Amino acid sequence: MYANHYDGGASHFHGGGFMPSQATQTPDQAGSSKTRSSTTSTTVPLTIKQITEAYHLNDERADFLIDGVEPSLVKLLGRVLNKAERVTDVSFLLDDGTGSIEVTRWVSDSFDTDEMTKIENGMYVVLIGKLKAFQGKRHIGAHAVRPVQDFNQITLHFMECIHAHLDNSRKATAVPATTSAMNDMRAYQTLNVGTGASGDIREVVLSVFQEPASLARENGLHVNEIIRRLGLQEQKIREAIEYHVEVGNIYSTIDDDHYKSACNG
Amino acid sequence: MDTSSPTVFVNGELLKLYMGRRVRTVVQVIRNEGGAVVGQSTDNQQLTVKGPNQSVPVMHFMEVIGVADGPQSIRAEICTDFGSNFDTASYNGLCKLANGQFKNLFL
Repeated sequence: MYANHYDGGASHFHGGGFMPSQATQTPDQAGSSKTRSSTTSTTVPLTIKQITEAYHLNDERADFLIDGVEPSLVKLLGRVLNKAERVTDVSFLLDDGTGSIEVTRWVSDSFDTDEMTKIENGMYVVLIGKLKAFQGKRHIGAHAVRPVQDFNQITLHFMECIHAHLDNSRKATAVPATTSAMNDMRAYQTLNVGTGASGDIREVVLSVFQEPASLARENGLHVNEIIRRLGLQEQKIREAIEYHVEVGNIYSTIDDDHYKSACNG
Repeated sequence: MDTSSPTVFVNGELLKLYMGRRVRTVVQVIRNEGGAVVGQSTDNQQLTVKGPNQSVPVMHFMEVIGVADGPQSIRAEICTDFGSNFDTASYNGLCKLANGQFKNLFL
C-alpha cells in the first residue's frame, strides 16, 4: 500500500496517492513496478552517442532510459574543451569521439577547486556525474572529474560501455546468450531475422513491453525504442506490435507510436 | 577540434574504409621522416601520419586524430603521446567491435 504522508510538499508532486503505474519515492514501497529503486544506485559507463540517443522519459523528472536501465549516475571519458571557470562552478565540453556534451562541476570547497584546477583543455578525463536535461538539451552535472594517466583506461572505458550495453540489453530481453564471442550474438540475431521466425520476434517484443520498467511508464514505450533495443528491422517489429494489438496484449497510448502492455504488474 | 563530427576508432585495416573521414587510431612511432611520422598500427600495418606532430618519442605510442587521406595515411589534427605502456591487442579488439556489432554505440 502507499503511505499517504503529505508533508506539504516537494517530494509528492505526483499528486494524490493511488497511481499504481507511477513510481513514488516512499521507502516502504513493496513495489513490483518500480522504475526507480530507492536502495540501488546504478553507475553506467556510456558513450556520449548513447546519451544523445537515450530515450527521455519525462521532462519534469529528467529521467532517461538507456538499454532498459535508468542510470542514477553515468561514467564518461573524453577530452576537455572550452573549459570555463566561474565563481561557483567550472564548466567544459566533453568530447569522447562519439559526440560532445556540456559538463558542469559545482565547486563549493577547496577540494573541488583543487580537483578542477588540474584539468586543462585537451586533456583526457574520466568523470562520474548525473545526466540531466534542461529545455530539451542534455548535460552532465559532474560529481568527480579525474585526469586519465594510463591511456589503457580509454580502451577499458569503451569496452565497459560495450559490456554494460550487452549486459543490460540481455537482461532486458531475457534471451539466453553465451557470454563470450560476439559471433554468437550476431548469429543468433541473424537467425532471428533471417529465418523470419516471427514467433520469436513477437515473444521478444512482448517481453520488452512486459518488463517492470515498461509497465511503470504511463505512456508505454515508443516503437523506436524497441527497435533500438532489439536491433531488429523496423518492419518486423511493427508487425509484431500489430499482432499483439490485435490479440489484445498491448494497446496504443498517446499516439500510434506508443504502446503499452495490457497486463499491469 | 571540430566537435560536431564523430571520430571513428580505426586500425590499419579499417582506415581504408573511412577515406576522407575523421578517424582516430593509436600507432607506435617507428621513425620520423621530415614532416611525417611513420607508425605501426595496432594490427601491425605501417601508417604515415602527416601534420603537426608534437614530437612523440620513437617507440612511444601516439594517438592520432585526423582525416584519413590515403589507405595508409592520416592527416593529423591532434597527436597525443600515449606513453610507452599501451595494450595494442585490446585497442585492436575495440576497433573491430566499435566498427562491427556495436557501431551504433559509437557512430
